[in-house]
Amino acid sequence: MENLLSPVILFFILGGLAAFARSDLTIPETLSKTLSLYLMCAIGLKGGVLISNNGFTIDLLFAGTAGLLLSFLLPVLAFAILRSFGKLDTTNAAAVSAHYGSVSVVTFITANQVLSDKGMAPAGYMIAVLALMETPAIISGLFLAKRGSTLSFQPNSDLMRETLLNGSIVLLTGSFIIGIIIGKDGFAPIAPVFETGFTGLLCLFLLDMGLLAVRRLRNARSLTLRLVILGIAFPIINGLIGTFIGAGVGLDAGTTTALAILAASASYIAVPAAMRLALPKADAGLYLAMSLAITFPFNVIIGIPLFNQIAIYMVQLWS
Amino acid sequence: MVVTTKRKKIEILIDRPLMKRLRQLSKDVEISGYTVFNAIGGEGGQGRWRDDQVTGGAGSKILFVSILDQEKAGEFLAALEPLLDEYGLRVFISTVEVIRADRF
Repeated sequence: MENLLSPVILFFILGGLAAFARSDLTIPETLSKTLSLYLMCAIGLKGGVLISNNGFTIDLLFAGTAGLLLSFLLPVLAFAILRSFGKLDTTNAAAVSAHYGSVSVVTFITANQVLSDKGMAPAGYMIAVLALMETPAIISGLFLAKRGSTLSFQPNSDLMRETLLNGSIVLLTGSFIIGIIIGKDGFAPIAPVFETGFTGLLCLFLLDMGLLAVRRLRNARSLTLRLVILGIAFPIINGLIGTFIGAGVGLDAGTTTALAILAASASYIAVPAAMRLALPKADAGLYLAMSLAITFPFNVIIGIPLFNQIAIYMVQLWS
Repeated sequence: MVVTTKRKKIEILIDRPLMKRLRQLSKDVEISGYTVFNAIGGEGGQGRWRDDQVTGGAGSKILFVSILDQEKAGEFLAALEPLLDEYGLRVFISTVEVIRADRF
């Protein structure tokens, strides 16, 4: 309940309700894009400054390895379920599964904010883990699509270059490195822009995401009940796996929650563009609806507090 | 009296992430020029869509416009043909009159 009364979540719900009621409320696309760039820049800087203060620890290695493995392997599990229970063909199952191995930056930012408000801010290095988890799932998805298929695509170097140089990854990683370089003292003069205004601008961005998610859901023609169920089941399964691994390698409760949220989230920035390019026959309306209109709201409203409670319990149990 | 010449106008509605492929194709065929327009939104066989820059443009579309002479237009369309189905392209061809035909 406490999570639901957070201003960022309330603005997200407001956006969803407005779209549901067919309000003409819109955030201009350019502002929306600017807000997303701002948030990535701010979260990258904050993570880098934290690393600069606390230094690199063995936990970073554990969390990074876990993140990489999750990103490579979660699509395999999702693919099998999408083919059997979801009744999707190979191409669509592979495209959707890649989304569930990759991560949602906005879900992570929202979780980071909610956890920070509770005094359980995740370790700064989780930004690096987030960046690491963006692309391996794309490779897994393409290999899954290639198996038993005669489609004319290859996971070639052009696609990999475009994916690795995706604007969000470049900005996030670049800001993280800048944060490490400038440290706390260097961050102080720019803190009014990247720290003071952060929560307010996140509210505005989540208002837009609420609008976007529900409008995407309304227009999703290819979404079946089975796929809606999977859009909720995947974050639960993946989030639980992330929680067990995080607690198992000895991360604190906030960082374990962050790893769980990364595992539970589905990409709707880097992966959809890559899949549209590499698997043009896959239904973009389907994978965007599942990741953005089903999984994203589930994680923001239910997933974050759920995984946080499980993470607290697991960390206490295993410590 | 302004002199006008007939040319082919080719318009292609394409998903934003696929534009790079179209640009490469136009280079391969040595097209002299084109213009790209943002499409705000629309509705078709796949349902409604709208410009959405937050999701990396995967659900957004753009309109590619090029004016070509008959021969080059034929070459370009032949190169496009294998992609029509796979990329779900919408192609419109019309005959237009242009001023300063040497520029097209």
